[in-house]
Amino acid sequence: MELFSLGIRSIFIDNMIFAYFLGMCSFLAVSKKVSTAVGLGAAVVFVLGVTVPLNWILNEFVLKEGALTWVSASLLTIDLSFLRFIMFIAVIAGTVQLVEMIIEKFSPALYGQLGIFLPLIAVNCAILGGGLFMAQRDYTLAESGVYGFGSGLGFMLAIVLLAAIRERLKYSQVPDGLKGLGITMLLTGLMGIAFMSFMGIDL
Amino acid sequence: MQQSNTYIIVYSAVLTIVLGLLLSGSSQLLGPMQQEAIALDKKKQILGAVISGEELAAMTPEEVNELYASRISSTVVNISGEEIKEEGLTAEKVEVAKDYKKAAEERAYPVYIFHAAGNPEAVDSYVFPLYGAGLWDAIWGYVALETDMNTIGGITLAHAGETPGLGARITESGVQARYVGKKIFDESGALITVIMQKGEGKDYDDELHKVDGMSGATITANGVNAMLKSYLSHYEAYIKSKSTAAPEAVAAL
Amino acid sequence: MSTETLEKVIEKKPAEPLFSKRRKKLVTDPLIDDNPITIQVLGICSALAVTTQLKPTLVMAISVIFVIALANFVISIMRNTIPARVRIIVQLAVVATLVTLVSEILKAFAYDMYKELSVFIGLIITNCIVMGRLEAFAMGNKPYDSILDGLGSALGYSWIILTVAFFRELLGSGSVFGIPVYSYISSLFGPDFKLATNGLMVSPVGAFIILGLIVWVQRTKTGYVEH
Repeated sequence: MELFSLGIRSIFIDNMIFAYFLGMCSFLAVSKKVSTAVGLGAAVVFVLGVTVPLNWILNEFVLKEGALTWVSASLLTIDLSFLRFIMFIAVIAGTVQLVEMIIEKFSPALYGQLGIFLPLIAVNCAILGGGLFMAQRDYTLAESGVYGFGSGLGFMLAIVLLAAIRERLKYSQVPDGLKGLGITMLLTGLMGIAFMSFMGIDL
Repeated sequence: MQQSNTYIIVYSAVLTIVLGLLLSGSSQLLGPMQQEAIALDKKKQILGAVISGEELAAMTPEEVNELYASRISSTVVNISGEEIKEEGLTAEKVEVAKDYKKAAEERAYPVYIFHAAGNPEAVDSYVFPLYGAGLWDAIWGYVALETDMNTIGGITLAHAGETPGLGARITESGVQARYVGKKIFDESGALITVIMQKGEGKDYDDELHKVDGMSGATITANGVNAMLKSYLSHYEAYIKSKSTAAPEAVAAL
Repeated sequence: MSTETLEKVIEKKPAEPLFSKRRKKLVTDPLIDDNPITIQVLGICSALAVTTQLKPTLVMAISVIFVIALANFVISIMRNTIPARVRIIVQLAVVATLVTLVSEILKAFAYDMYKELSVFIGLIITNCIVMGRLEAFAMGNKPYDSILDGLGSALGYSWIILTVAFFRELLGSGSVFGIPVYSYISSLFGPDFKLATNGLMVSPVGAFIILGLIVWVQRTKTGYVEH
């Protein structure tokens, strides 16, 4: 039950985009068409769902203070958490490379569409942010799996919704200076207000 | 240009070693200072429950350490209020955040005792740590009880990620000052604690167990209430064992 | 992603003055005309998360300036030795190291700020401006130019986030750098006068709206239209 509410929280309330602004670059750049947005969203769900638990294992058994006691009890005071950033980003970059190869092999069409955006997932703040929040909040393995998957879904939901709105936006008369980024930011703001209503859910 | 695999592997290895050395070097160098900064932060929070925030902010780190060393002594108790005497266990070493995940009966409970100025024997107030969940993330703090073991002398609250301007206001001295002088037990000696109300702007001066709320931050306020209630109830045995100065509350038990 | 606009610098004369016109342009271009946030749409994540108040925003801006300038410099020195196939990971490793340094230093000397910025310092690693400048500029230019280019982009980023933070803090909390401006103003009008703060501004929504408006103003001035 705890896990379920954590999942709901990470999708709707702690939404990567609307609450923490993470992954904004790809959120803005890849939200012009629903189909591409779905593809990128799915990739983010997968990568977050895999890397957050992977990073948890890394953090729990290597990086945290006293994490190395399984090697030898004398290592109790070793604290490698200063390596957290660099190790997390290495795990993420590796996983992304893997996903890229898999998509290229099984779905060349999707690969062609996502094009340069796939390597960009490595520098998507949402992925690293997911890992860092996991470490900061001291999740368990199960929690970090749910959290990674849930926040990925939250990102996907946001980007697909935005893409759907932007597709309709083509038919609107937007002032020149607001075209593109400006109106998208305002839209995101309005969507954020809508998402605030989820805060009232008592979990 | 395409390099050979050997070049790439050697290059990566050298880079890893250089960066690794750089990072561990800096961490070794800065480590002691970081430990000090963390310890100082904790001392400031504890002291914040007994002296005003402005006074604390004006102090240099040395003065804070000095004040802490001269006025605060500490002990660790268990849930039945008995002192835990264990080799190497001090109140400062207990990490409330880590113990929070254990069952309430298994935790170690640090108590910080604030002594009167100029008289190290006399106790001015007892400071207890608090820990709980706010709207987004963890919240924690310290509450000071006067020697009647009923009146709140002061409170500090801190948070990891409450909404700025709303829930994050629990760190404001104005909000924390609302708790001063409130009582945690009712006349029959039952633990009521102090409940932050919904909404803001009402006058609760005459109510011993209520304080004004923060508008727009009801969930954070509920978190504070729950945290206060749970930790004071964990300390209840210890508090009652010390509350000789409040005979009517004890007599009622 | 880099919406690469800077052409490779054409061959230089051997003794170019330290602040030649071209070099000045490296710094000034990203401030307005080619601003990383409002024109290139990079590095928005961290731009918004910390901007509820000016003080952490300033710390964030300084950290980003430090990281971008130094990363550009280091990568530019290494540019001819970096194996093409592991380019990205080498860049990430360098950036991650620099960011770790920043975070360790903050933890030791400004613990309050470290607590406040928490994970967002780490997220400088994935700030697209950093990677964008490394790929687009530092990989093909000399160290000194790269530092200037990095400084330019970082300053362009900084003034935008400081502007956002200024409005969010003023309208949302009624203060500037923690100084309660609103209560000063309202005290001028007698005891019963009170300026209300807008809670929406401190929520993420306020950041989106303010940034959207800044983009509008800025693009109207420069005449830039996105298609």
